[in-house]
Amino acid sequence: MDWNDVWILYRRELRSALRERTIVVNSILMPLFLYPVMLWVMFTGIMFVGGLVERTNSRVVVLDAPSAHAALMDTLRERENIDVREEAVSSDSAVALIRVGDLDALVEFLPPEADARGLDDNFQVLIRYDRAVERSRRARDRVQGIVSGYRSRWVVREASALDISRAEQAQFRILQDNVSSDRQMGALIMGILIPLFLVLMVALGCLIPSIDCTAGERERSTWETLMTVSASRLSVVTAKYFYVATLGITAGLLNVVAMFVSLGAIVGPLLADLGGEAEAFEFSLPLLALPVMAVAAVALALFFAAAMMILAAFARSFKDGQAMVTPVYWLALLPILLGQQTDQTLTPAIAAIPVANASMMIRDAINGVFLWPLMAETLAVLFVMVAGCLLLARSILQFEELLLGSFDGSFWRFAKERMIGKKGESQTSAGAGAD
Amino acid sequence: MESTSVRVEALRKSFWDESRGEIRAVDGIDFECRPGEIFGLLGANGAGKTTTLRMLATILKPTGGQASVNGHDVLAEPEAVRRSLGFFSASTALYPRLTGRETLEFFARINRYPADQVGQRVETLIERFGIAEYAGARVEKLSSGMKQKISIARTIVHDPPVLIFDEPTVGLDVMAALEMQRVILELRDEGKSIIFSTHIMSEAEKLCDRIAIIHQGRILALGTLEQHRQATGQHYLEDIFVHKVMEVEGAEDTT
Repeated sequence: MDWNDVWILYRRELRSALRERTIVVNSILMPLFLYPVMLWVMFTGIMFVGGLVERTNSRVVVLDAPSAHAALMDTLRERENIDVREEAVSSDSAVALIRVGDLDALVEFLPPEADARGLDDNFQVLIRYDRAVERSRRARDRVQGIVSGYRSRWVVREASALDISRAEQAQFRILQDNVSSDRQMGALIMGILIPLFLVLMVALGCLIPSIDCTAGERERSTWETLMTVSASRLSVVTAKYFYVATLGITAGLLNVVAMFVSLGAIVGPLLADLGGEAEAFEFSLPLLALPVMAVAAVALALFFAAAMMILAAFARSFKDGQAMVTPVYWLALLPILLGQQTDQTLTPAIAAIPVANASMMIRDAINGVFLWPLMAETLAVLFVMVAGCLLLARSILQFEELLLGSFDGSFWRFAKERMIGKKGESQTSAGAGAD
Repeated sequence: MESTSVRVEALRKSFWDESRGEIRAVDGIDFECRPGEIFGLLGANGAGKTTTLRMLATILKPTGGQASVNGHDVLAEPEAVRRSLGFFSASTALYPRLTGRETLEFFARINRYPADQVGQRVETLIERFGIAEYAGARVEKLSSGMKQKISIARTIVHDPPVLIFDEPTVGLDVMAALEMQRVILELRDEGKSIIFSTHIMSEAEKLCDRIAIIHQGRILALGTLEQHRQATGQHYLEDIFVHKVMEVEGAEDTT
């Protein structure tokens, strides 16, 4: 193999690819813009829907409201998003109205249970609602919030009248203290999103180029042109392989940058607008996480590029290639799910599972956990997979009918007929030489 | 320098077909081509022309026999063989997303034309084929006539001593086909060894210095047009071709 030839061929592949809209969109623009835009659209959508929901009134009927608690009724009537219906209905007919969607909740005041009758005017409230209907559930929450608040204030007042201090009323309290730092909270979010999207984007970055430089070349009739240049077959395939891997790495790393920027610049402010704990999230990465992510992206890209090119080499057209290679993209999703266990770090067993290991290694690095022996195992497993794919590719390329694109079938059929069945190279199919 | 640029001896190629078994696409052919000569391979579709030329271009490996291009064996030195020849056929298209100039530069470099002379060589060819006006445009945007010129320039950009033209005029209009023939004659006059395959008799008559009639993977007759005329008693190449084919098929019928 001549590395100068590989360099010339590699530059040619890359130059052509950067002029192809599909490749630029899939390998560069989507990783860079799709997920930031998607996150922005998602959070804006949540805010918009939330606003609409807040403006919807809850239709409520109140039965047997105790006269001693007129203030509670006043509060219910004064609340802008609660519409208290004054019509006289029975409990059964109100429930019937809830079932058909003409009413959202029924609030029935009942006498207190026997052991709670110590306080004058004590009561219990039964809220009837339709759990299958969002609007009805919302009415329940609103009424429950108002009644609970009122009841707490009423209990405090009654207890004070009986000279029971606040401390005596409380007896014991449950306190919470989140010991996570802001950075750790940010790392939690990044640890879920970045490994997932990095793996997906590396696979997506390899997808179209792997098809374009194999099946696409056949479809455009440039494959035979390439077979007549003086470079060795190995140089040609090596250049194509590096080209596909380059676009996979580019897509993965561009996506990490885009995700990192968008988490801080888009998600943080949107969470603040949602009234969440935005100020408790700090999106920053340990410095060592950057080379770990870069190495993981390289290893994944080399693996995906090899696997996808092997399958795409059997396709005669771009469309065939898409059908043959797309399952690899979806298969990549399965191991990532293993890496989504947020309370799990890399273990020897997980480090032996390709893709899941890289995903977990990246998440650990984002969390500042660097298990060097297991990271070495992860990379060793991925590079063994890459070596396996390359050996398989080398073996397949010995068959000239495949090199010329005359084999009519998939990788699986080829493996069954030619590699397992051992039909020799000399017995290549008639299509290899059309004339 | 050797007086023969291309030498083919007992060359064979078999393919395997699920239903028909072994197919001998090329069945022991011999010929040679010299510098400054256009050697024609004349045969019907499926006669074995393209398979022969693909073996010479090292795209296919021979099942048996030997072939060499410019002194390099096709099996032992495939890269050197490819460096010594330019291959043009209907199935060797251009990269649509490169410009004409980029295409020529790429093929010159990858075929090891001296790096410091690539620019000069490319400009010379752009001028020779009159493609300066659109050399900077992407190939995908060009007409088929323009693409054809760039394609020929691509074939010869590394100045190979041997050129293979596999049915180069298929699909071309009359004017484009005539232009192609003119270029091939020019290249012959420059001393190139040209192997030219066609099934169009008039083209072979007009261009080829020697003609091999190939049928079912075998060469039935080889010689100049005059030698074929004398051997068969026929004047036109079409009649000569039919005469030779019928001779073989008649013999096969009687056996």
